[in-house]
Amino acid sequence: MPHFGIILATYLGACVEWVEAFTIVLAVALSIGWASAATAAGAALLVLAGMTLTGTALLAYIPDFAWVQGIIAAFLILFGLRWLAKAIARGAGLRPLHDEVAQFNAVRASKGLSDHHAAWLIAFNGTLLEGLEVWLIVVALGVQSHHTLPVAGAAIAALLTVIAVGALLHRPLARVPENALKFIVGGALLGFGSFWLLQALGYAWPLGDGALPALVAFYLLGGLGLVALLRRRAGAAA
Amino acid sequence: MRALFKTLFGSARTIGAAAAAAGLAVLALHGPAPALAGAVLPVALLAGAAYLARH
Repeated sequence: MPHFGIILATYLGACVEWVEAFTIVLAVALSIGWASAATAAGAALLVLAGMTLTGTALLAYIPDFAWVQGIIAAFLILFGLRWLAKAIARGAGLRPLHDEVAQFNAVRASKGLSDHHAAWLIAFNGTLLEGLEVWLIVVALGVQSHHTLPVAGAAIAALLTVIAVGALLHRPLARVPENALKFIVGGALLGFGSFWLLQALGYAWPLGDGALPALVAFYLLGGLGLVALLRRRAGAAA
Repeated sequence: MRALFKTLFGSARTIGAAAAAAGLAVLALHGPAPALAGAVLPVALLAGAAYLARH
């Protein structure tokens, strides 16, 4: 489970972020053309690749493995907690679902698109900011599992998937079940994060690596329970 | 810069919820029943997710 789970979580998490980045790049491309927008996105991806190499090398340089494991676990917990909470809130109807079409329209309406340089920067910043979350997942899961290459490969495969589907459709990928993906990835990251945090603190998990799928299942089932509970409460209050 | 910070670490509430859960797990780990830490951390994190979802 650990390696397959890590690669699957990376692929799904990266899909969510690349879909959001694609929406921004598509909106910009309609103003400054595909070539310029693709250059901006490509430049951001190069920055992210450089950050991945640097981040991986820096973490590998720290001699105390427990420290590295602790730092990575803390990031995964922060990240997973945010995604799971957001997905629960959206699933329960406490927050509106993320709307790619609305985001596309918002970028199209921004004043910056009238200026070529500013529009280029919108595409660059958008790709970089969405990609930062992918970078975090790749470095954290890659370094910790000693499988940075396959994990980075999963993120690149997700990018290619989104580009292929986006090129085919030529419109925002609004039908991607983003909230369900965020829910699953949030639960998985929390599972990995809590497993490695306690391990870094010297805790021996009773089932060894077998505790990992149990933790992920706990977060996912618990999250589903919370969605049902919060939805019922919201319904009763209305 | 603010967007970068928020992307990497999340909001103050997220950091607070994660820190509280980790703190409880550390307390459990150094308490009379350290084996409970493996249950305390996931339960505390799920409670944190419930709190964040409502706020």
